[in-house]
Amino acid sequence: MLSFLNLLNKFGAMNESYKIISSSMLYWFSQKKWFVFSVMLAIFLLNLSTPIGLTVAGYHSLIILLMVFILVTFEPIPFPAIALLTLVLQVLLGVAPPDVVAESFMNDAVLFVMGSLMFAIAIVHQGLDIRLAKIIIGIFGRSKRLFLGGLMTISAILSSFLGEHTIIAIMLPIGLSVIKNIDTKQTDGKNAVLLTLFSVAYGTIIGSIGTPSGGARNVIMINYLQEFSSINIDYWEWMKHAYPILIVQLVVAYFVLQFAFPTTLKNIQIKGYKKKIAKSNTRDNINHLFSSIIILLIIISWFLFNEELGLGIIALCGALIFMICGMVSWEVINKNTNWGVILLFAATISLGFQINETGASSWLVTKFNALLALMPESSFDISWSFMAILTGLTANFFTSSATISLLGPMAIELQPSDISFALSAAIASGFSFLTVISSPTAMILYSTGLVSTKTFFKVGLLMFTSSIAILYLMSKFYWVTL
Amino acid sequence: MNILIAIGGKEYSKPTLDLGMKIANAFEATTTIAYVGKKISQFSEKDVSVVHQNLDNRELYRPGVRTLEWAYDFLESKRYIKKDNSVAFNDHLLIDEENSRMRVLLKGSHSNKIDLILRTGEIIDQLRSEVATSNHDITIIGGGGNKGMHHKLVQFIDSSVMVVKNYSVNKKYRILLPVNNSMGSNKAIQIAEKFAKSKKLPIEIITVLENKSSDEKLRTILRKTEQKFTNAGIKNTATILEGDPVQAVVKYAKDDSLVMLGVSPKNPFLKYFFGSKPISIAQQCNCPVLIAK
Repeated sequence: MLSFLNLLNKFGAMNESYKIISSSMLYWFSQKKWFVFSVMLAIFLLNLSTPIGLTVAGYHSLIILLMVFILVTFEPIPFPAIALLTLVLQVLLGVAPPDVVAESFMNDAVLFVMGSLMFAIAIVHQGLDIRLAKIIIGIFGRSKRLFLGGLMTISAILSSFLGEHTIIAIMLPIGLSVIKNIDTKQTDGKNAVLLTLFSVAYGTIIGSIGTPSGGARNVIMINYLQEFSSINIDYWEWMKHAYPILIVQLVVAYFVLQFAFPTTLKNIQIKGYKKKIAKSNTRDNINHLFSSIIILLIIISWFLFNEELGLGIIALCGALIFMICGMVSWEVINKNTNWGVILLFAATISLGFQINETGASSWLVTKFNALLALMPESSFDISWSFMAILTGLTANFFTSSATISLLGPMAIELQPSDISFALSAAIASGFSFLTVISSPTAMILYSTGLVSTKTFFKVGLLMFTSSIAILYLMSKFYWVTL
Repeated sequence: MNILIAIGGKEYSKPTLDLGMKIANAFEATTTIAYVGKKISQFSEKDVSVVHQNLDNRELYRPGVRTLEWAYDFLESKRYIKKDNSVAFNDHLLIDEENSRMRVLLKGSHSNKIDLILRTGEIIDQLRSEVATSNHDITIIGGGGNKGMHHKLVQFIDSSVMVVKNYSVNKKYRILLPVNNSMGSNKAIQIAEKFAKSKKLPIEIITVLENKSSDEKLRTILRKTEQKFTNAGIKNTATILEGDPVQAVVKYAKDDSLVMLGVSPKNPFLKYFFGSKPISIAQQCNCPVLIAK
């Protein structure tokens, strides 16, 4: 062995071009090691015999699921490549024929992801933040704490209808304007900055559970419920279940943040900001009026026509109207839409369907139920807790929509006739309080450079635990009354 | 000559920036100061980009610009660049040059020898791209990162690498130059000579004898290097050490040493999995270390 290494070393020392090539190969390997690992793991698992009770197609679909988990978590290759790989492997490994894979690739949930991303860009492009800031200051500007509470509440309400990625882009500049020039070297100033930023972020994160259009995961779960259990949940039905949780969470979040970041708020210059925005002329901006009308029309359509038209088509209509009216150009939408994420969601939803169709989700649930049978306590509570905590935690490392598109079928399979399991899984996956990679809001907050991963986790742990407890209590005592 | 100085947080980057500029001035080099922002998950990269565009529209600095502004002010205050009242950072312009690379342009005339670059992503990947884009000869980075990061930097960045650890602006430094018969060592000798001449620093040349077969060769290299520096009018001493090269150099280096040594000629695969002597020295020394390529 040693002589082989010496030989290798001598050869390396002799040949410069060999060094360059091997360095490039090593760099590729160091960047793609998780891809190599996932492929090797898949090959190893494919060579094992299929577990008893599971079809070959089902086994292969679970192997692809494992690969997708690794690839999405560590991102060794671009998302569009993961999406294409998922589709190709489904056909190559015999999970489903090409036509079936193609059919499951596009549905209303995918249209919703596409439409809501485009709609969000169109809204953000209108520069509504100044007008919104005027409204918030008008209503909540009497005191600094009231202002922060108002910022959180307005963020939550808007995010529940328009999605967190839209609202964080509008609200963050307001938050950053208020904390501009604060000296973060002193604890009081630093806490004032964190309290402001977290108020906006927690507002948007919490809000996203409120209605189906708050997040793609909600729409994906509604679609799965329709397909697998023939249960229809409309916009209002979802709100009835989720909005009370949102309200309780908001109150809890307010106190959690006051506890985590104690500050006198003396550094926050509301008056200065008030004067600054008073100078900006928004009255004559006709686009703001049209934007508000379009947004209202879309929200009303989600309420009234979601069953006939589908949430995705309505979201697409929103983007379409903005484009037709010339309020946003295709170039802007094309440049800022994350097409890779759309492809990835489409591919994972397709895989989610195949996991259900091949019986893989039933097999997993059977195994899980066999484990539960060994428990002395109420198996309902244990399986509920397991599902809620598992989806909540997975979403924090894997993002919520991807989690639901892959774990959603299993959540439904656990209690096919009881929507509380499916809803709990979808709502818990929105508790992205623990890691900065869990949601666009968390990542945007982190990208400001003002919030560390450690701070995010420490406060988030408290918020995550209380949110799971709130969800449990609501599903146990409030949902049964509906 | 092109020099790349990678900076992070304001306080921690002062020594890196100061030493980096001293080296750049010594070589009369064009300097790029790069801030590499946090890596954004692919899920959120477009959302983050939209928010940053929004911040630009609202005249709120996007993350990293403040650090570059601080770096620019620091260079002015230390007179590494001439103060120019017509240049104000408030009027900066961000030019999106390519994927995840932005150049900060300041209004008015300013030194065309300083480039301010904003990048986002994984640090090794971004610095590697930056070196490839502008053909930098030396990359200078703070010693705050983990040991694995320094290993990867030395292995994958196509320039000499300096890790600035425990550097004090006011301390009087001496160059510690371990020499051997490698190509990298020749390059280190060239850099040390130029830097010592410009900053009037003394050089301590050392060589470590590991086995008898290479003894005479190393003694000759030591003598020749000593002669070279004496002829150039650089104050120098030459010392022969024995034992394990890494331990000998680490033990010999003091807090006021600026270690300059050549990259290992070892096979890249072996370096990746087992490391190399220069990498170990850079990881273990508590002073700035330059690995010349």
